[in-house]
Amino acid sequence: MKKLKTKIGMAAIIMIALLSFAFMPAPEKITVKGSDTMVILAQKWAEVYMKSHPGAVIQVTGGGSGTGIAALINGATDICNASRSMKQSEMDKLKDRYASLGVEIRCAKDGITIFLHESNPVKELSLKQLSNIFSGKTSNWKEVGGPDQDIKLYGRENSSGTYVFFKDHVVKADYAARCQTLPGTAAVVNAISKDKFGIGYGGAAYAAGVKHCAVKKDDKSPAYIADTETVKSGQYPIARYLYMYLRNRPTGEMKAYIDWILSAEGQKLVAEVGYFPVR
Amino acid sequence: MKKVTKILLILVLIIPMLVLSTGILAQVQVSDLKKEQDTLKENVGTLRDKISGVEERISNAEADLAKLTKIKLSGYIQAQFLHYEASSVSSDNIFMLRRVRVKFQYAPTDGVAFVLQPDFTFGKFVLKDAYVQLNDRWLKTFSLWAGRFNRPAYEVEYSSSSREVPERSRVIRAIYPDERAIGAKLEIAPPSVPLKIQLALFNGNDGLTIPDASGNNINPENNDFDNHKDFMGRVTYTFKLGQIGALGIGAHGYYGKIKANTMDVLNADYTYNKAVDNTGKLIRKNWVGFEGQLYFDFLGGLALKGEYIFGVNGTPGYSAKASVVSPMTSALKNDTLTLTTLTTNTTNSRPAIEKSFSGYYIYLIKNIGKRHQVAVRYDYYDPNTKVASDQIGIAKWDAGVKTVTTNNFTYVGTDPVIATNTPTKTIVSNSLKSGAGDIKYQTITLAYSYYFDDNIKIMLAYEIPMNLIKQNILTLRLQAKF
Repeated sequence: MKKLKTKIGMAAIIMIALLSFAFMPAPEKITVKGSDTMVILAQKWAEVYMKSHPGAVIQVTGGGSGTGIAALINGATDICNASRSMKQSEMDKLKDRYASLGVEIRCAKDGITIFLHESNPVKELSLKQLSNIFSGKTSNWKEVGGPDQDIKLYGRENSSGTYVFFKDHVVKADYAARCQTLPGTAAVVNAISKDKFGIGYGGAAYAAGVKHCAVKKDDKSPAYIADTETVKSGQYPIARYLYMYLRNRPTGEMKAYIDWILSAEGQKLVAEVGYFPVR
Repeated sequence: MKKVTKILLILVLIIPMLVLSTGILAQVQVSDLKKEQDTLKENVGTLRDKISGVEERISNAEADLAKLTKIKLSGYIQAQFLHYEASSVSSDNIFMLRRVRVKFQYAPTDGVAFVLQPDFTFGKFVLKDAYVQLNDRWLKTFSLWAGRFNRPAYEVEYSSSSREVPERSRVIRAIYPDERAIGAKLEIAPPSVPLKIQLALFNGNDGLTIPDASGNNINPENNDFDNHKDFMGRVTYTFKLGQIGALGIGAHGYYGKIKANTMDVLNADYTYNKAVDNTGKLIRKNWVGFEGQLYFDFLGGLALKGEYIFGVNGTPGYSAKASVVSPMTSALKNDTLTLTTLTTNTTNSRPAIEKSFSGYYIYLIKNIGKRHQVAVRYDYYDPNTKVASDQIGIAKWDAGVKTVTTNNFTYVGTDPVIATNTPTKTIVSNSLKSGAGDIKYQTITLAYSYYFDDNIKIMLAYEIPMNLIKQNILTLRLQAKF
């Protein structure tokens, strides 16, 4: 009986070893999917990398962090961009399917920016005020020092990592039902640039044509605008990491690409696009 | 001079006329423009109304869509071909539907979920999950479950659609039949700490097959038949091992009792348990388990998972009584006519038994690329650690068959005397013998899965039991998930 067990054990180990090498995938192109907040950054990385590495093919699409993580789990993408960290339930799915917890790479920092119309006299808001505004408890600008006008809310779709992060860290309740959901921070910025009484949130890289609202932790704290210094020092209260998730530790072309992103050259692009480097 | 005067006169006449005509023309144009403006205003108004209508429709559609997004529908079908080697069953080649499940989840608001999951395997409908889950919305740490759901144990909670081999380990199938139980559960899982605590109370009889003297299951509908509730607790913690993987460890315990259904209780070695207060009629179901899962990133995912469980598992007995009245018989002896009506009372009992058991399983799983997965599992289950292999069929407890007949005569008359006898015959048999339920199993399962995509996988598995009963099973399974 013992001999039989040993034989079966040996056979199993040999089978696993052989299959491991026989089926090692040879990546042809790297697919990147996920966070809409990170689309511009990811496209910039891909574009510059492909120029300097002619053999590399990198395809970037958005869809939201949740969509990207789902794609990573179902094998539809090689790299998932996410503007929030992976949930335990998502990690469990990855574990069940690939016997792996995935690899998390912090590739940039972002300060979630509060966008206002350029004519809006409100200059700063506390986290509490933002929570009340986006949960619907505060519905008129005059309650936060603005004109006597209804507040128009613009936010992201629930597949967005920014939506989840902002909900978990700022709103801490359900979003108001009247909050208009838009596909991407660019759409939020565009809507606010045309709406005098609009307010929205999104990645710092998308601020053209609108006003940045300074944010303070509470009524007694000073208010800060998201910039390199305040985000890096932790003074800006709605700062977060931007992540890349992989199923397994990267090898070959994928490793080279990730290493490049984390290099000085890749991190320089982070700043150029409007986010904040991690290195 | 006259010419100049004429020209001036003409100009004086023409200019006002021109001005007048231009004015008139301008007035006409302004009037036309106003008309156009009015038309445009009207058109814009119409368009605005139309846009408002479309906006309203979109808003209504969005509201309806938002309601629909609160409903989640998922499920899977497992169709398989089984080949039994050295089969004792009538057919050793079987096509079957192993699992056909649809899971409905409705989350009306953040923090509340209703889950319903029936299984539609051919010819029957079985309710697997049906529970309400309330999640704490503030700390995002606590959740309360009530209804029928998986018992908190690693292999039980690991979905059959994700499992790397066709079936759960024998020890799990034995102590957690049907995986689910009716009860309530509190889960504590702080979002920032990889710790999970589960505390649950169950009826305790879910999925158990408890036979009566005729072999019929007295527990077909899972209606609890004792007042004792079973407690289960599980704690797990995951350590991150940097970029190379993670180690999850945990323990779970089960503290329960079940009605013995009889007056006699045996120890695991088939000796009479004098320590059990026989009038209490509750037997123990107590065990603990220790689990570990190591995930290691070596040329793709590699996992080593295992669990060891040991304790005491009580099996209820039965005590069946039957009474038969025989037809009257008569006998004439001397001057006495005896009329006899025999009542036979039979008590057929099987004692309850508390068996000490132990079992474990170890999985080695390797993922190769996105599509291939190989797995080896060794699982061991000894349902009765107190009975050695050579004692199976020999170890027994037998109170023997006791037969007592009691006569009951009444006499009437003198010549002849009529004697009426209504005797009662009492037969009591009470025994239990070791057998198939005490056999130790060691099983190796080899499996290969190919994922066509996230929804479809095909699995080829070979199960090799290495014990007294040798019946290898080859499984070819196709799973479609949505």
